[in-house]
Amino acid sequence: MTHTQKRIRTWATGLAAVMSLSLVAACAGGSNGEDVNTGNTGAGSTTTSGAQGGNGGAAEAPFEITMMATQHAAEVPDDLIPGMIEEKTNTKLSIQWVPSGSYQEKLNAAFATGSLPMAVSATNTDFAKEAIRNDQFWEIGPLLAEYENLSNLNPDVLQNTAVDGKIYSLYMERPLSRQGVIYRKDWADNLGLEAPQTTEDLYEMIRAFTEDDPDQNGQDDTIGLTDRSDLIYGAFKTVSSYFGTPNYWYIDEGDQFKPEFMHEAFKDTLDYLHDIHSKGYMNQDFPVTSKTDQIDLLVNGKAGVYIGSMPDVLTLSNQLADMNPDAELTVQNGIKGPRGRGVWAIPGYGSIVLFPKSAVKSEEDLHKILAFYDQLMTAENANLLTWGVEGEHYEIKDGLANKTVDQVTDNTIVKPNNAWGIGGPDTIDGMLKGYFELPARALAEELVEANNSMLIHDPSAPLDSPTYIERGQALQQIITDATYQYVLGDLDAAGFQKAIDRWKSEGGDKIMQEYTEAYQAQQ
Amino acid sequence: MNSTAPASGRGAAPAAPTRRSSERLRRIVKNRYLYIMILPGALFFLLFKYVPMWGLVISFQNYQPYLGISGSDWVGLQHFERLFAEPTFWMIFRNTLVLFALNLVFFFPVPILLALMLNEVRQLMFKRIVQTIVYIPHFMSWVIIVSISFVMLTLDGGIVNELLVFFGLEKINFLLSNSWFRPMYIAQVIWREAGWGTIVYLAAIAAVDPQLYEAARMDGAGRTRQVWHVTLPAIRSVIVLLLILKIGDVLELGFEHVYLLLNAMNREVAEIFDTYVYTAGLKNGQFSYSTAVGFFKSFVGLIMIMVANWLAKTFGEEGIY
Repeated sequence: MTHTQKRIRTWATGLAAVMSLSLVAACAGGSNGEDVNTGNTGAGSTTTSGAQGGNGGAAEAPFEITMMATQHAAEVPDDLIPGMIEEKTNTKLSIQWVPSGSYQEKLNAAFATGSLPMAVSATNTDFAKEAIRNDQFWEIGPLLAEYENLSNLNPDVLQNTAVDGKIYSLYMERPLSRQGVIYRKDWADNLGLEAPQTTEDLYEMIRAFTEDDPDQNGQDDTIGLTDRSDLIYGAFKTVSSYFGTPNYWYIDEGDQFKPEFMHEAFKDTLDYLHDIHSKGYMNQDFPVTSKTDQIDLLVNGKAGVYIGSMPDVLTLSNQLADMNPDAELTVQNGIKGPRGRGVWAIPGYGSIVLFPKSAVKSEEDLHKILAFYDQLMTAENANLLTWGVEGEHYEIKDGLANKTVDQVTDNTIVKPNNAWGIGGPDTIDGMLKGYFELPARALAEELVEANNSMLIHDPSAPLDSPTYIERGQALQQIITDATYQYVLGDLDAAGFQKAIDRWKSEGGDKIMQEYTEAYQAQQ
Repeated sequence: MNSTAPASGRGAAPAAPTRRSSERLRRIVKNRYLYIMILPGALFFLLFKYVPMWGLVISFQNYQPYLGISGSDWVGLQHFERLFAEPTFWMIFRNTLVLFALNLVFFFPVPILLALMLNEVRQLMFKRIVQTIVYIPHFMSWVIIVSISFVMLTLDGGIVNELLVFFGLEKINFLLSNSWFRPMYIAQVIWREAGWGTIVYLAAIAAVDPQLYEAARMDGAGRTRQVWHVTLPAIRSVIVLLLILKIGDVLELGFEHVYLLLNAMNREVAEIFDTYVYTAGLKNGQFSYSTAVGFFKSFVGLIMIMVANWLAKTFGEEGIY
């Protein structure tokens, strides 16, 4: 009796001990996971002190750099090219890949928990403006001149990234505007449609692609436009700039700053898309359609018009060819609206790189990181990051880089590294531009260039509004919701006006005022 | 200490606490295995439930990550004032309570009914198969459940709408409407969780003394009578217990689930505290404010659970404390 009892007890104790141990282990594991970056930072500074002694020596220990980068494709990035960069720059890179969809949240969370990596990539400085003002990030403006390649970065663009006129970040170049229309050329030919020149032509094409049986299969199974739940990089903002809508903000006759949705062109866009939606010329569920589903509609031959980034015509054509070898896509832009031509522009950079003091402990480390980025801006390394290994992933044709890899290799080995380079063809001498076999892709390249003649800039880029930083996104939600509701017909003009009034009363008025003051102060 | 000193001529006063604490120690030593068994659970709650509560202080601050809790300014109730003044506050409050009520009314009884029905199945093989099938959805994440619903309900070729058209009916915009959000939400909850919820009830039913059924049969009770007079009363305390626990979770409506269903067209009925906290806190980086919102939510939850507990006791059931 007692024997059995004793045995049970021993068992119970053992079990309890194991459980508490595993719990403790789990906790320890958890906190380790959170502190990966700080841990790395620690390791980084150790190597630094070790490296000091053997300065210039061949055996200098690689300098460890932690960074967070956006992962755009679904495939897990391969570390072949980062490995090659490590060797060339004598660094040890630890790149934390974050899917683009949750990058902003991840960034905020890392910022809140003090676990930012040494090099932080972000779309702009908004997430940390206050911290930047409080000297939590390294100011690098005065240091750039010391570096041969970094000094080539465009001062105007750098100024667009500045906070209170001081420069804290490096930037990655992007064409100012890649937006345009991609459409089914074979469908247009079937119906005898020319490339659309005006917003009316575009409307007619979208209508005809829906109603006139463009695939000539005798069935009413097509729609014109395919769009997704993105008012910026989807169709809406680009179409709105065809109508002459300002780029987020404009300055009216009285030198007052006003948001784009107070402009009448914005309302024209609303009506235009509401009309298209209500007549069934586009996918009815677009406010909940993902990019994948949007593309599926195009490549499955359901829809014929895609408005977005024109260079995407390459991947879209490849996907479409798999489904239907006879299909053909082409691109068009410079669509003329009632107020002339126009297309919205980004402020000259795709993303920026910041250096938090919490991770980059000393000025010496900062210089090491800047030296690393300086090396990334050599033509050799920039080409490696953009195009991969010559002879393996691309070949040079007419002085241009011609990709020779399949989509999956491209997405795993080559393309991810586009996300952590800096500069671009305009600032790196000898960096290769792309060669494109596909005529539509080559045309897209031309049209991206042509967009430069009709850019609509965002006047708020170099300005600052504290209320916008605090409430801007929450307020924007009101307008975003109202825009969808108007396009879907749940809201009329009065209802949209009400949303604007709400936007104004909940802080919009203050934002307008702050921008106006900031603008007038700069004049 | 002086516990070793003989209590010769000293007063009894200092000796009493010593004796009491040594007695406690003795009892702890005696039941050491029980204490050791409690340890993992206690550690868990301490580390993951109590320690994080420290973070609530940032709801009274203007928290700046780089300044930390010790360095950030104290702002009193400013964030709570902002929450109550927010024009959307009542909308969110109402949405949260409505979804909770729907959960309670439509979801809560389903596992009980299902368990009673399963209990009546005599063909063991059939019962096992049904059980397995109804458990499966529980192991699918909300992303999958919502995606499946999306594919079935979309206007652009979803099977449900195609069927409606086939029968000559109008298409219904399930995904983008205020009126369909709640039915869709609750149907998905039932689909995913009802089967899983039966486990506890089936266990409770299995523990019912078979003699009671025999006695009931002797008295001429049929199947339904047996369920009504024997099974249900026997599992009543389990039902009440689960009900209280459910009410305690009043505001845990499943962030992931609602967030996946939320869009511009149904925000008016679908925005709840959890999604709001997420948007304000993680997306817009307003850490203090979103903590204040979460704090308020927990506070409401606490009140609800106290009320439920009090009600249970009033009706002669055992509460949870």
